[in-house]
Amino acid sequence: MDSPLRVVHYVNQFFGGIGGEDAANVGVSLQDAPVGAGRALQQALGDAGSVVGMLICGDNYFNEREAEAVATIKGHLEALKPDILVAGPAFGSGRYGLACAEVCKTAQSLGIKAISGMHPDNPGALSGWPDVVMVPTGETSADMPQALAAMVRLAGKLGGGEALGPAEIDGYMPRGVRRVHDRQRPGYQRALDMLLAKLGDRPFVTEVPIHAPEKVEPAVPIADLSQATIAMVTTGGLVRKGNPDKQVAANASRYYRHSVAELHSLSGAAWEAYHAGYFNHIVNSNPNYILPLNFLRDLEADSQIGGVFSSIYALPGVSTPVATSRDLGRSIAQDLVNSGVDGCLLVAT
Amino acid sequence: MRLEMGAFPVERITFGSETRYADGHLQVDKEAVIEAVHADPRIASVDLDVAYPGESARIWPVRDVIEPRIKVEGPGVIYPGTAGRSITTVGEGRTHRLSGMGITEVSSVNWHDAGGDFVEVYLDMSGPWSELIPLSQLIHLCVVVEPDPGLGNEAQNDAVHKAALVVNDQIAATTRHLTPPQQEVFELRDITPDLPKVIYIWCVHSPQAMSGSPTAFCTTTYGLTQLTSPWFLHPNEILDGALTGPYRTAFAMSWTVANNPLLLDLYRRHGVDWNFLGVIALRTEWTTQHEKQLMANQTAKLAKLLGAQGAMVTWDAGGNEFIEVVRTIQACEQLGIKTVFLTSEDDATEAAPTMLEPLPEANAIVSTSFFKTRTLEVPDLPPVERVIGLQHKDVGPLRDQRVPTAGQLPPPPRHDDHYGFTSMSCIEY
Repeated sequence: MDSPLRVVHYVNQFFGGIGGEDAANVGVSLQDAPVGAGRALQQALGDAGSVVGMLICGDNYFNEREAEAVATIKGHLEALKPDILVAGPAFGSGRYGLACAEVCKTAQSLGIKAISGMHPDNPGALSGWPDVVMVPTGETSADMPQALAAMVRLAGKLGGGEALGPAEIDGYMPRGVRRVHDRQRPGYQRALDMLLAKLGDRPFVTEVPIHAPEKVEPAVPIADLSQATIAMVTTGGLVRKGNPDKQVAANASRYYRHSVAELHSLSGAAWEAYHAGYFNHIVNSNPNYILPLNFLRDLEADSQIGGVFSSIYALPGVSTPVATSRDLGRSIAQDLVNSGVDGCLLVAT
Repeated sequence: MRLEMGAFPVERITFGSETRYADGHLQVDKEAVIEAVHADPRIASVDLDVAYPGESARIWPVRDVIEPRIKVEGPGVIYPGTAGRSITTVGEGRTHRLSGMGITEVSSVNWHDAGGDFVEVYLDMSGPWSELIPLSQLIHLCVVVEPDPGLGNEAQNDAVHKAALVVNDQIAATTRHLTPPQQEVFELRDITPDLPKVIYIWCVHSPQAMSGSPTAFCTTTYGLTQLTSPWFLHPNEILDGALTGPYRTAFAMSWTVANNPLLLDLYRRHGVDWNFLGVIALRTEWTTQHEKQLMANQTAKLAKLLGAQGAMVTWDAGGNEFIEVVRTIQACEQLGIKTVFLTSEDDATEAAPTMLEPLPEANAIVSTSFFKTRTLEVPDLPPVERVIGLQHKDVGPLRDQRVPTAGQLPPPPRHDDHYGFTSMSCIEY
């Protein structure tokens, strides 16, 4: 590297030398020389970089008044224009970890590279995922030297504009970006190597890190069904007989909206399934198996529900990439909301 | 159970006046073999052709690739149970195999007529697709066969697969009285007390749920394709063809099953690195969560009762079948059995999880890369000089464009190295 990196270090009140839990409510302050953990960072950087500013904020202040904290930090970062922001390491401290993740995102939104470090179970590791580069650390500050060494190594790469190598090689937490890679040894041999290591309680690195699935908050239950308009959505590949709309049988890239305003039930003469993932004949004999329009009509006639929405939504739920599924789902949900639909029956196969 | 496996390497296949094997040269009496296939009145047409690695040739549609094998000593027949063959337990005595070649079943007959599940595999003998598929390194004796079009789908499947097995029997019989140039003894000798006990949980697709039939054609265990509770198989039974392909990919063929490198290495290192207990074959594509969890529980229980401390897990399918596979891993781990999962991966666009149900118990995974050729960015494949089989292929998302097979062609939708033949993988950033 030609000139030393300009580094800004974000720490909490404790690692900034202000105080412990009693000082957790202090707001953002800027120091122009390294203090507290910043000294250790400067030492780890050596000649490769210079800590040109320390941003210190109480953990409670950051988490309770995040917008204000972020705005202040943003201002300082714009003025300081560092090559890289280093946040933490936060180890097992949850509020600190969440702040570090947010501060990194703030820096990145300004086009400034950022890196943090924390224990993989720190909630900040989840909130920073997948955008923030984070080094896995131990749970306590006993791990400070190792954590800083790893962070400094990656800070040098990132700050110098170098692309990071794979997570398992460069030592950061994997971020879900998966690329084809030739491991130079057949899969069966690697699998048996891993089995031997696991049986012998020796370390091994899984080739597919497991990330916790995204959680979806359920909607509030419908208070009064008798006033509610109910729509029907299926991933069962329901098509009009003969598939005149040319729906694919797998790998959907769109969904179809069909009117059922005039129908009491779905007939096998007018509808069928076109879906590469299940035995279609049952649905072909009675399409109400995947969209029970006839039952909803009965409930409507009985005033148990307010009404059946005039259109149904259909696509084949086979081999569709998650990213596409997410987009299709959002689009259907938005369409339902725009149409004043209160509830939706989602029938999978 | 002791099995001697004699191997006869094949370096050249020619047609001649007599079917015989000598010094790597397989000569095939084409007329006699065709006549033997025609003994089944369900066969409308059959022809034989040979394709060599490196040739500008494409084989389409490839329903199965079978390694020629024959039992020369011991009970039962090779590839038992399929197409009316004996179901006597195999795995003992002596078996001969012709290595370096495959008998390739080429026919327009589809797996079943319930929609969506189409034969899509073709093989290129040179070019980029051949470099991704180990089967392209074999010499292929292609059996291009069509059944009586008036038959029902399952009878058609049975007829064309039987035809390929008739060719197998004719070819492999040439070695019956010969001394194999290479021989290996397969036997699970006594347990070595200080080595860990490992089991191989081998998940194979069942076509029952998709086809609506318990007898639809697909991957077999002693010829059965239906959804059944887990099977415990001695690896010798598998070497004698008690577990066979085919399924949707070039890695799920009978040849690939019989030559599964994971199985062979587990076996060869028995008494050296571990005690190999055998194989639990688990049928997949159960319908309900209840059934999937039950199979997972029962598979793990069986492994535990057999004394397993470690388990290798593979599968050959996709989609919802992942649930019974990953739940089996979870159930094993909960019983203290350490698992390693060898699998391909789904599309990772926008950091999507490539494992359908990401359970934390699956903490030791070896990846054989993305299974979709589209995600692997395999380009359309270049034209070839010669096509063995059908001269047209239906392509496109709706399969409504009929194009010449010899021309530039989209790759089959799946690559999917189920058993870790290759070094292809993914790595995370």
